Formats: sequence, structure tokens, C-alpha cells
Amino acid sequence: MIKRPFTGLSQPKLKYDSVESDPKGPETVLMPSNILLLLNDSLDSLRTSLIKKEDQVKKGEKLSLYTESTEYVISPVSGVIKKIESYPGEFGNIKTYLVIGTEENDDFVNDFEEHADKFELEAAAKLLKSLPGAPPFETLIDPTKKIHTLVISGVDEDLASTTRQYFLSTAPEDLKEGIKILQNLTKIPKIILTVPEGFNVEFEISGMQVFNISSFYPNALPEMIMKNQLKTTVPQGKTCEDIGVCFISSEAVVSIAKACRDKKVHFEKLVCVTGKDGVQKRIKTSIGTPVKSIFKHLNIHTNKNDRIVIGGPFKGFSVFTIYHPVQPCMDSIIVQDAGIIPFVSDSACINCGKCIKICPANIPVNLLVRQLEANLFEEAKETFDLESCIECGLCSYVCTAKIPIFQYIRLGKHELLKMKTETEKEGANG
Amino acid sequence: MDNKIKLTVSHAPFWHDGDSICKMNLHIMLAAMPAVIFGIVQFGMPALGVILLAVSSSMFFELIMNFATKRSLSTGDFDAALIGLLFGMMLPATTPWWVVVIGAFVAIVIGKQIYGGIGANPFNPVLVGVAILMVSWPGYFDSDAALLNYQFDFKALAPLAALKHQGVSAIDFFPIKTLIMGQQVGTIGTNFGLGLILGGIFLIIKGYIRWEITISYIAGIIITALIFNLSNSGSYAGPMFHLFSGYTLFGAIFLATENSSSPVNLIPMLIYGFLGGLMVILIRNLGAYPDGTVFAILLINLINPLIDYIRPKALGRGVNNA
Repeated sequence: MIKRPFTGLSQPKLKYDSVESDPKGPETVLMPSNILLLLNDSLDSLRTSLIKKEDQVKKGEKLSLYTESTEYVISPVSGVIKKIESYPGEFGNIKTYLVIGTEENDDFVNDFEEHADKFELEAAAKLLKSLPGAPPFETLIDPTKKIHTLVISGVDEDLASTTRQYFLSTAPEDLKEGIKILQNLTKIPKIILTVPEGFNVEFEISGMQVFNISSFYPNALPEMIMKNQLKTTVPQGKTCEDIGVCFISSEAVVSIAKACRDKKVHFEKLVCVTGKDGVQKRIKTSIGTPVKSIFKHLNIHTNKNDRIVIGGPFKGFSVFTIYHPVQPCMDSIIVQDAGIIPFVSDSACINCGKCIKICPANIPVNLLVRQLEANLFEEAKETFDLESCIECGLCSYVCTAKIPIFQYIRLGKHELLKMKTETEKEGANG
Repeated sequence: MDNKIKLTVSHAPFWHDGDSICKMNLHIMLAAMPAVIFGIVQFGMPALGVILLAVSSSMFFELIMNFATKRSLSTGDFDAALIGLLFGMMLPATTPWWVVVIGAFVAIVIGKQIYGGIGANPFNPVLVGVAILMVSWPGYFDSDAALLNYQFDFKALAPLAALKHQGVSAIDFFPIKTLIMGQQVGTIGTNFGLGLILGGIFLIIKGYIRWEITISYIAGIIITALIFNLSNSGSYAGPMFHLFSGYTLFGAIFLATENSSSPVNLIPMLIYGFLGGLMVILIRNLGAYPDGTVFAILLINLINPLIDYIRPKALGRGVNNA
């Protein structure tokens, strides 16, 4: 944990972790006998699902809950479904988890094989969405987005992770190949590769630009790259994708290249794991492996009240179970001992102004948080720039009163979205 | 997914810079210590008594209000203690105990708690306490009268009162060096210029006060006093005399910078500080009070919400390039 600097005059320097010059390969964590898959879809007791308990699944089989669902997972193993149940996520978002008991057999369903030589975006969206790195094919095929710039992130967005940089420095050939595939596939004219400061890109592709990203948080966040490198401001309430810029991680690009070369999808995900001692280790494991197996391999013991953070310290989320599986977009895991978890408080804002100084989006955080505490979401949006927030979490990090500002902001945005959908529904109903 | 271990689940971010309200207030109290200790050495045990009574009664009233308003106990954040300390520092050493207790009551209850406690007060609670006492019992704030029984080895006159009543010629009694070293008649903790400056530098470096306010406040004092002095040096004292006498430095470092009642954006901070300095000199040179700090800062507290609307445009506001 990075503490307040002795001098409070300067802003805290939150330097991104950078990959070693000759990075060590990842340790392999073997898959346990039971794996878990998370499906971003909720169970509906009124409908019969396509998959049920005791079903046999084959490695490479595409699993989704209902015929009309667009959400799917590709099973990384052959075996039998032992359990299908709901998994509560953030803000009441219900997902579904499947437990698959692995079985030793070589059945492999390879839907991708026939497409591998020449495939369209639609096919990619149907088959490659759960590749390691989670390529955003759904955004790319969305006709409302009109993507004109594709940014390949060779820099990790959050701290305590070097996953993307690892692929940038160890797999330049795959990266180059993947970028070319994406270029042909999407016909997007502008391709940008973001790399850490001082990194030399060994290859060149016509039409590709390379941007150096400052090594201090939050400069690698998409909105900051838009502002600093692309010189475009994302309007309030819009996303980068809404204005035609799509971000894809270097791992996803490498995965696409590998899938095309081997004519099959693969499931090995690279994860940076930071233990309680702060030591960071790089591991490679199959998607679906519960984090518990990783901890066992790395000799990390979890006790009562510890915290497991998926993603970085600023933008990640914490999970309630040590059986949470490795997912395609999971770049890092942090385990925090119960004793070092910083408290949050219900104290009022004391107006010290530290959040104002650190906010990269110039939001009047001190005033905003007062509105949000009082549930004045509309007011927060109209007058106090709630929707300018790029969700970097720095305001909560520096808050002297330890107010969970970031949580208030996310809640505010969530409530506004809910209100909007409700009004739209009412409008549609007459 | 049987869950045997109960994990902590909370929202991001998962790191914190380790700062807290308690730490901040302790730092500010520590920064005030050189001036307080100097005051106790100079004025003896009565000064210590006033400081201790001010701190303890402030904490007591905070506690009472916590119970009365059925809120969690807040004396542990030391905010009440800090208010008490700063309030005590602004009193002469001989202030009677009941004046101290009434002042602490006004500062904590009327200045802070009735607005909702920490962070909600529109005025600096210390100044609310001091201002009410000053208006109600002005006699106790007359340092010359209060310290009548003391023997000093320097000119035993309150510099600003002397300036008010005897004119500019009086400032010859007070060389700047003696003022900086605290060789002046005044209150317990506001005389020792050097100690206050050291405390101020410490707080600025540690980031617990906003330097923009302190610096612009001092700039406001110097520029305004200089303009008066240049226009008529026979009637108005120079900027250095104003800077090192009375509550000026104490105001610039500990009072104007009070978090809740001061702005947080750059331009508003500069305006706020400068106006504070300007008002102090206007009250001293043209008004009825020898020292204008208390009312000047209360006045700028008043304009704080208004000027704090001057703020940079948020990212993506009014942009329409979709």
C-alpha cells in the first residue's frame, strides 16, 4: 500500500508497476478437479435452460442459458455440470455460476476451426468473446458505435499488474500478427498501440501509431489516454466507445493471433497475483480455475476478514468467496490481510480539498459528495458533474475523512441509469 | 461454492493514503506548540490554565452535544480539542475562567455543532467564540489592561492598540525584531511570530493547510498596508508592523485556513486570502477595532460559498463531439 508522502505539498506519486527487462515466465497453476464458470446472465425459473445439472459438456463447447441469450462461456474442460446457481454481483446484478467436474477425455468441440482461415466479426463475436483478455467484439459489431479508432493497450490500467506489459514485451510477433488480423477483420482505419514510457516497439505496421503513456496512475485509463494522447474529450455521460474509440488489451490481441494460428480457442490466462507480503507473482492457469487453487499453489493463506481483490487496488472489486474463478478479463489478484484493510467511515466531508487537487476530471468532489449522501442524484448530475467522473478512485484514496466517495459515485451513476430506464419503460408503455 | 471463510467485501479503492482527521488535527496542534509553549513561558501558569481550560471545556461541550444530538462520540478526532487550543491561544493569560468556558461553549455549540458538526460550519468556530466574547466583554480583550500586573523587559503596550490610540509615532516602540521574537503585549499564543511561521511552514509542507490561502492572505496584508503607508506614511503604519503584530500571522496560518469555512479551488482560495488580508488592514486603518483579524476572517467565511463557484470546467462538460 502506498502511503501519504511525508510532504503533502505534492500529489502522491502512484507509479505503475513496470515489467522487468527480461520478464520471468509465469508459473503454471494446474486446474483442480472442479472448475467454475461465471455466466453474465441470470437464471429465470420460468424458462427451461439449455444446460442443466448432470449435463455432459465437452471441452470447447459453447454454453449459454437460453436460446436467445447472447452471453456465453466456452467450457475449458470436458466433464459434467455439477451445479448451476445464481451468483450475486455488484449493485444487485445477478450472474450464474456453473460448477463443472472435469473428466479425463479428449473430446474437443472446435466450432472455430471452420472459421479460422477466413472469419467475419460476427463469427468472432459468437466464438471468441471469452478468449483470455476478453476481446470487445460486441462493441466492434455494434452498429450504433461506429468505431473509427482501435487502441491496443500495452499498458496496464491499474496498479499491481504487469499482465498487458508482459505480452507487449514477450510476444511482439503474436501482437503484430493479431493487430494485422484485427485490421483486416474490422477495417478500422486508425490503430494505436499504447506502450509504457521508454519502451521501444520492435515492429511496424502501416497505419499504426505508437503512443507512450506516462508511468503514473491514472494516465493509462482510457479516458486519460483520450484526453492526453488523442486530444479528444469524452462528453459527460458518454463512453469512449460512444465516440468511436475502442480499447483492447494486448493479451486479447495475442490470444486472437494464437487462436487463428492454432485454429482453436485456448483458455490459458495470465494473472499477476500480489500476496499478503506484497510480492507479485505471475501465474498462468486455465479460465475457470478458482482463485483458491492459485493461492494454494503460491502458498497464500486466507483467513477470516481478509480481502480478495480482483483487478487493481483502484478499479478492482472484492469477492466474497475464495472459489471465485479466473475470468477472461482478470489481469490481477490482490490478497490483503484483515489487519491492513483501511477503514471507511461515515464522517461528513471536512472540506479539506485534497480530492479537488487530485481529481483528474476537475469534479467539485467536495460538493458532489454532499449531494450523493443526500440522494440528490439529479442535482449531482446537472450541477456537480457526476457524469464527468472517470472512476479512477483517487478521491477515496486521499480522503482524510475516509468517506467511500467512489462508492457513492458509482451508486449515483447506477441510480441515474435505473431512473432513466424506468422513464424509458414508462414512455414505451404509453 | 460452500463458503467457509468470511471475507471482507467492500468497494474500491482498496488502498488509502493513511491520512485521517485525527492525524490532521494532531499535526495542526503540533504546529501550534512553539507559539503555545512560548506563551506559557512568557505569561506563566495563568496562560497554561487558560489553554487547558479552553481545550478541556471545548471537548466537554462536544461530548455533551454528541449525547444531546444522539450521534457517535467525536472527541476522538481532536477537532474540538483543536478548536479549544486555538481559542485559548487567542485569549490574554489573565482571562477569567467563566469567560473561557462561555467562549468554548459558543465556539463548539454555536460555532460548530448546531450546523451539524465537523465540516458543516460556515464560520470558523474559534472566531465565532472569540467574536462573541469581544463584543460582549471587550474589556477582557484589552491586553494592556489584562496584563497590567505583569513586569516585562520590553515596552508593555499592545502594539495595535498603541497604534490606534497614539498614532504612527507609537510604532517606534516596537522594532520588528522584537515583534517577531514575541516581545509584545498580547494574547497567549499569537505573539511569537517566529514560532507561528515555523508552524505554518510545517503545515504547508505537510499539506495540512492550503498554502494558497496563507500566502494570499499575507500578500493582502502587505499590499494593502503598503498602499496606505505610501499614500500617507504619517497616518498609517508600514506592512511589516501589521504583519507581525496582533492576530495577523495567527490568522493567516491557523484561522483563515480552517477547512470547512474556506474555499478549495485555486482562484477562490487566492481571492479569499487576499480579501482577508485587505479587510484586516481596512478595519485596522479605518475601522473602530485595533485588530481586524477576527471580523475580517468572519467576513471572508461569509463569501466563501459564493466564490467557490469559480471552478475549472469538469472533464467533458458541455462537450458535444459525439
